[in-house]
Amino acid sequence: MESDFTFTLGPVEIGLSLITTWGIMLVLAIVAGLSTRRLEIIPGILQTSVESIVATIDEAITAVAPEHARQIMPFIATLWLFLIIANLVGLVPGLHSPTRDLSVTSALAVLVFFSVHWFGIKTLGLKSYLHHYLTPSPILLPFHIISEFTRTLALAIRLFGNMMSLEMAAMLILLVAGFLAPIPILMLHIIEALVQAYIFGMLALIYLAGAMQSQQLNSPE
Amino acid sequence: MEFNLSTFVLEIINFLILIWILQRLFYKPLLNVIAKRKQSIYQSLADAKNLQQQAEQQRSLYENRQKLWEQEKQTSLIALELQLDAERVTQLNRLNTDLEQERQKAKVTLSRQQQEHQQQAEKQALKNGAKFASLLLQEAAGPELEGRLFILMLNNLATLPEVCKLSLTPLEINKTVAIKITSAFPLSLEMSQQLEQKLESLINNRLSFQYHQDVALIAGLRLDIGSWVLNANVKHELVGFAELDYDYN
Repeated sequence: MESDFTFTLGPVEIGLSLITTWGIMLVLAIVAGLSTRRLEIIPGILQTSVESIVATIDEAITAVAPEHARQIMPFIATLWLFLIIANLVGLVPGLHSPTRDLSVTSALAVLVFFSVHWFGIKTLGLKSYLHHYLTPSPILLPFHIISEFTRTLALAIRLFGNMMSLEMAAMLILLVAGFLAPIPILMLHIIEALVQAYIFGMLALIYLAGAMQSQQLNSPE
Repeated sequence: MEFNLSTFVLEIINFLILIWILQRLFYKPLLNVIAKRKQSIYQSLADAKNLQQQAEQQRSLYENRQKLWEQEKQTSLIALELQLDAERVTQLNRLNTDLEQERQKAKVTLSRQQQEHQQQAEKQALKNGAKFASLLLQEAAGPELEGRLFILMLNNLATLPEVCKLSLTPLEINKTVAIKITSAFPLSLEMSQQLEQKLESLINNRLSFQYHQDVALIAGLRLDIGSWVLNANVKHELVGFAELDYDYN
């Protein structure tokens, strides 16, 4: 079930997940480049489609963090787009979702972890940002710190566990029940892939928004 | 479920690169074009609002102008009605004056026609009267009336003014004056001698007498002395009365 395809470039080990990720990046870059090559005020079908995607994501981000939407939009939108494609790529025969690899989901979770602090400090300043760990009471500081790590870990494990289990279940059913039996499971895979991408991106958005707006919500302004 | 550090690190780098690529190629251009479109829409809305305001102002202006026109129209109508009333009164007065004048003219004409009719009637009556009198006097005329009128002629000749006497005498002394004596009845010899003596006493020239009879004179006689005519007959008196009455009227 697990692909053993790896090669090394010096100390760097290149695995299948990494190659798939590059493929996804290449597809996204090509689609992005082609779809935005000739943008018009009165859009065509392709421009309308990509504008709808970006506008929907922008609206979702604005609903949660209206004052910082434009700032965090590239990060959250990229998370959503990448995760949707990465989760769905497992449906293509011969390919595997990169998100069934703990290294990939951990990397994304760690990125979210650092992004939260980066945007929080950038928006509020270091002192104000660190101060929010002491609110509402300094006693809660250890719980805040534990929460930071556990929620990052939960992000990584949730996505990894769901995607790996989905692919594994489909593979087992295919081996046991025959050729057409995994179709419902594959449909479930599609839904689950979209839901997991949405959950990951939305949690990241909420964490970012919480970090950027916590001090502002507590302050009189 | 192996954790590969190379994959972990490269995935972080990959994702950051993907964010950069998408931000540069995808989000930024699309958000810019959406912003431009929004700006265009807002600009169009602002233009539309501006146009609407201008239209409202124009409408208000036209409404005010229309009200002014209505007021001017009403004022002009009132002025026109007043002018028409004044003109109507003037025309009516003029018409009344003309009618009155025409009425006066008609009245005068009618009066004149009545007068003419009356004159005609009177003239006719006088003629008729003269005719009737003439007929009556023709019946009543006779030698007695002839005699009285003869006496009247002699008296008239006796009382003739000096100026008339002189005018009866012609300038040539030797010239014979022809006197035509016309009577309704034949004059007796005595009456002829009396008349000739009377005339010879008035006119110094030699006289020749011619006697004529004219029943149209009814009674009396007429003397034609040169250009002079002396009447003492009924016909002349009747005609004289009729003409005199006509002249008076």
